[in-house]
Amino acid sequence: MTIVQFAPFASLADPNFWHALTNLKIDVLRLDDHTVPLSASYTSGRSIVDRETGNEIALGCNITVGGEAFRDQPQLPANSVAAHGVFKNFNTIEEFKATDKTALFNQQADEIWESITKGSTDLLTRFLLITYADLKKYKYYFWFSFPAFVSKPAWETDGDWENASQSFSDATLTAVHSSLHQHPRSFFLVRTTNDTHEVASVEEYATFFKDVPPASRTIGFTDPSAAHSNPGWPLRNLLAFLRYHYPTDAADGFRVLCWRDADVSSDGHWKSRSGIVRVASGDEKVKPSAVGWEKNPQGKLGPRVADLAPMMDPRRLADQAV
Amino acid sequence: MHAIQQQYWAVRDYLSPVLKESKFKEHGRITPEEFVAAGDFLAYKFAMWSWEKGDQSRLRDYLPADKQYLITRGVACLRRATSLAYTDEDEDRERLLSFGDLSSTGNEADEWVETHAGRPSHKDSEAVGVIDDIPDADDGEDHHGVSQAMGGLAISGSDDIPDIDDIPDMEEEDLEAGDDEATAAAPKAAPESGVIDASQIKVASGNLLQVRTYDVMITYDKYYQTPRIWLVGYDEKNRTPLTPAQIFQDVSADHAFKTVTIEPFPHSATLQAASVHPCKHASVMKKVIERMNQNVVEQEQKSSPSGKDKQKKWLFRKASGNGKEDKTAPPGEPADEGDGMRVDYYLVVFLKFIASIVPTIEVDATTSF
Repeated sequence: MTIVQFAPFASLADPNFWHALTNLKIDVLRLDDHTVPLSASYTSGRSIVDRETGNEIALGCNITVGGEAFRDQPQLPANSVAAHGVFKNFNTIEEFKATDKTALFNQQADEIWESITKGSTDLLTRFLLITYADLKKYKYYFWFSFPAFVSKPAWETDGDWENASQSFSDATLTAVHSSLHQHPRSFFLVRTTNDTHEVASVEEYATFFKDVPPASRTIGFTDPSAAHSNPGWPLRNLLAFLRYHYPTDAADGFRVLCWRDADVSSDGHWKSRSGIVRVASGDEKVKPSAVGWEKNPQGKLGPRVADLAPMMDPRRLADQAV
Repeated sequence: MHAIQQQYWAVRDYLSPVLKESKFKEHGRITPEEFVAAGDFLAYKFAMWSWEKGDQSRLRDYLPADKQYLITRGVACLRRATSLAYTDEDEDRERLLSFGDLSSTGNEADEWVETHAGRPSHKDSEAVGVIDDIPDADDGEDHHGVSQAMGGLAISGSDDIPDIDDIPDMEEEDLEAGDDEATAAAPKAAPESGVIDASQIKVASGNLLQVRTYDVMITYDKYYQTPRIWLVGYDEKNRTPLTPAQIFQDVSADHAFKTVTIEPFPHSATLQAASVHPCKHASVMKKVIERMNQNVVEQEQKSSPSGKDKQKKWLFRKASGNGKEDKTAPPGEPADEGDGMRVDYYLVVFLKFIASIVPTIEVDATTSF
């Protein structure tokens, strides 16, 4: 039994996002530093094979905020799923430094937990972004956090994560692919009965799996991670959700499908991973502690800086124009 | 000066008429309808490509509102093109890529030279990051190492990591109590699983890789009547947008500074992106298409005595503009065989051409086709 280790989200802010933030700050927020809703998106994890060395290289477990992040109904990139969060901009770097980050974080974690107790999966990927924008210098200080609950005891896997084709038939995976291709979902359930493959939302767990033996119950999620033995961050809160509502099933174990096949594989090779995870029973109903501040490139807990001057400063752009 | 030029381009673009009849065969140029048809095919065949609406205030009325431009996100770029100096001895390594399947004839002559296949980088990645002196503006004659000089144009000392002073001094280790055993630690350089994590690659010293990702957009350029490619890059380690100078490191030396420039992206009010200037696209595409078509026709005439009626027409799938037929009639499998290269393949071929300009950005996923 090994402890399941989740690949943390890595935030990726599109240049359009900084433009949108600038406009929001100048035209709407001004000196207002209340929280604003924000949406991001992620796709299933990608890896590519280096043509020169033959190594498989996993791209990051990315979550992207784009130019439409502040819109009510943002247009999602193809094959991606949405994550909703809150955004808070500070007017000075001092306020940004001094703010009580633990309180902001816990507020989000509390909301996620409340939604779990109510039986909804909508807020499982809720996140927080705090920023300070130095608009004159086109510099943006920012810090994401993706609250996730720490399970005590931790979730464990039997053996290692394996390629999904070892536990699922091609037909099942194809059915999942076509279902998700039409309606991307963050989290889903899969059952196979008499050669029919069905996909449903996690909220339908009780009815959907009523006549399904535990061994054939599959929990799936769109997995932004591409690392072989690390499922992505969203699974963490999904497992917290399942453990809260179905503690005995959690002790028996769930078969998890880490969905990573957004692109059609032409050669019949699936990239998705699968494994069985279980957790010993404990205080399921007590709110666990949460973690999730994103680390900076130095691997420390701290904010990051995006210097957009080379791409936004008109003088700079004029300099390099020929 | 540049601003005036851009105004001029905008006006010229506005005034130039929309290409109505197809000149795909004679000039390598395509109409907006053909652009949509070729884009539909690309998005159908390769799920990584999708249509975007773009900024509503920048709609081009000659394109369907929901099909303004094509985008693919997170295209990997493992090496810097500046580290791939091309020499004569490399010619031996040129590899013929066959995409005969494209024309549904299986013709072996439909091959494409891939120049950068399997070539080791000549310089290690450390050298790429080194910033030379800022070159004099007069040095324009010196075409060798132009892209290196572009690297030098970077704001002095602009490494990927911002100045130490700029990072607010606020490391807060006490924010989260202790290490969380269920958070995957930053992967080691050589994990047992054989998969390398992109963010770790530069850390491994001596490793030639430094992964970046690109968002690649294809728009339709009304003036040149060809597709036009746009690039927005990210550093995989910091996950911040690349500077123009950094983007030029990924452009092959023959093109950097000459055909690749930073311009306002036409479907956004604010975004600036690197773009390959389309002035030569039509003539290059014409040559490529001619050659491909010739091969296809020759092959057909060899194989079938009634080759006469094969030249009758190029199958232009009429895009109705509302894209209704996309789902009902997958453009993938041509119903009528033996008509040479159809316009649907235009963008697939175009991407192969673009891949020669940005050799290390894997825009061309079509080799597995």
